[in-house]
Amino acid sequence: MVKYKWPILGVLFVGFATVPVWGSEYVLLFCLLYCLYLAMSQMWNLLAGYTSLLSLGQQAFIGFSGYAVAVLTNYYGVYIWLSVLIGGFFSVLLALFMSLFIFRMRGIYFAIGTWIFAEMLLLWFSNWKYVKYGTGLFIKPPHPPSMTTIYYASLIMGAGATAAIYIILRSKIGLGLMAMRDDEDVSEAMGVEIFRSKLFCFMVGSFITGLTAGVLYVFQIFIQPYKAFAIDWTVILVFIVIIGGIGTIEGPIVGTFIYVLLSQWLAEYAHISLLLLGIIAITIILLAPTGIMGTLHQKTGFAILSPRRL
Amino acid sequence: MTDILEANNLQKTFGKLVAVNDLSFEVKEGEILGMMGPNGAGKTTVFNLLTGTYKPDAGRIIFKGQDITQKSSSKRCRLGIGRTYQIPRPFDKMSVFENLLVAAVHGGELKEKHARGKISDIMDLTGLSSVKDRLAGGLPLLDRKRLEMGRALATQPSLILLDEIAGGLTEGETEEVLKIVKEIQKRGITIVWIEHILAMMSEGVDRLLVISEGRWLKCGNPGEVMNSEEVLQCYLGAEEE
Repeated sequence: MVKYKWPILGVLFVGFATVPVWGSEYVLLFCLLYCLYLAMSQMWNLLAGYTSLLSLGQQAFIGFSGYAVAVLTNYYGVYIWLSVLIGGFFSVLLALFMSLFIFRMRGIYFAIGTWIFAEMLLLWFSNWKYVKYGTGLFIKPPHPPSMTTIYYASLIMGAGATAAIYIILRSKIGLGLMAMRDDEDVSEAMGVEIFRSKLFCFMVGSFITGLTAGVLYVFQIFIQPYKAFAIDWTVILVFIVIIGGIGTIEGPIVGTFIYVLLSQWLAEYAHISLLLLGIIAITIILLAPTGIMGTLHQKTGFAILSPRRL
Repeated sequence: MTDILEANNLQKTFGKLVAVNDLSFEVKEGEILGMMGPNGAGKTTVFNLLTGTYKPDAGRIIFKGQDITQKSSSKRCRLGIGRTYQIPRPFDKMSVFENLLVAAVHGGELKEKHARGKISDIMDLTGLSSVKDRLAGGLPLLDRKRLEMGRALATQPSLILLDEIAGGLTEGETEEVLKIVKEIQKRGITIVWIEHILAMMSEGVDRLLVISEGRWLKCGNPGEVMNSEEVLQCYLGAEEE
């Protein structure tokens, strides 16, 4: 099967690209959410799975970029897709600022540091008159994009994020990242620039997460700080990556499918949905400790998008 | 012979423990300098200071005429200092070939396609060719030791620090390691070698440095150093008459 990886990926891409032609409204919505969550989870996977940057603050980039889109579109009349792009760059600026503080920390301290930043942003935005406090903002572009256009933007994000992580891992930096994943101190003694590699991944992760969040809020048309900066975002990304297989490109592809499918089903049980997600995650981790694709890879060597060198 | 490395008045403490105490020595280009001392003498700490894993509390390290005391570990590697670890620390989830590739591409600053030829040569020298596609985490001890040397070589070093590379090996395996070390020296690479095996130190090195409690004790011809009163008294525990 791996021999035919490019034809398989090509068929998959054509399938997704033609969803507006053959799919129902429900299928289109499902695929749209799939692509957006895929892009964000691939970025969390890049950070936690390859760079040892256990970020619990991805919601900082999601909310910050979402608000950038809302403010630029509503207050300054900026073209909606340009707002999304600028939102991505705002996200990078935020990441640069955060890195001044949190890159002095490692492991769990880094995780808590990122979370604290996101909580600070939540407090700031919910008390900021300019963005109407906690009541939130509607995103009202003069010419709202169609559902099909939004879908293609999300497809670009999902496919683009997956391609980006593959290209990074196949590059010199990626080789260093895989060594860092195994032993950070030894990789540094072998010439790998740890700080530069981590900063690069943090920047890429924040940019793509920010862009994806921009597309998400163009779709949702409403942003409110308690949702935008909520830890729930990171919980979802952790769930996707852990059950799919952390440190594998295929992991988020499978994990996102399971999550989006479950979230549709769990919508009927909203009050216990997180509890059910937790039970499902624990069950999968007990059966497949390195996630579905991680375990499959260990047992059979299966990998479609392997960054391994032969 | 000119000095490739100078350690001047190095000092390193961990809490109240003085691990390296005002230690100075030099390494001459092209030689094998052996380093011995009782357990806890501070030998590995010296390596960690030379490679930048630890920063000294005082003192300076000069490599090829350049002060590298404040340079990062990765920078020192790219300048030409390669190292091995006493307990092998391969990148477990990567293959033998990928382990060498990381060192060649990052430490040796080679392009991936150019690195492949060099790696093939290193695998022939160290005897790793037959296990090149195996995951490093599953290798037996001798192959892990070979990989340590191969990975250090792949960084294209002018100086290699070997930390008990023959430790835990059988006699036959030890001889094999000695052959590889000699071959590395023939390629013009300077070596500093920590080892506890006396026979290897007397046969394999050009000069021998003995340290005790982090201090310089004796340095010179291996035979003379091993038979000197200070070394016998300190390292081998001989009584003064």
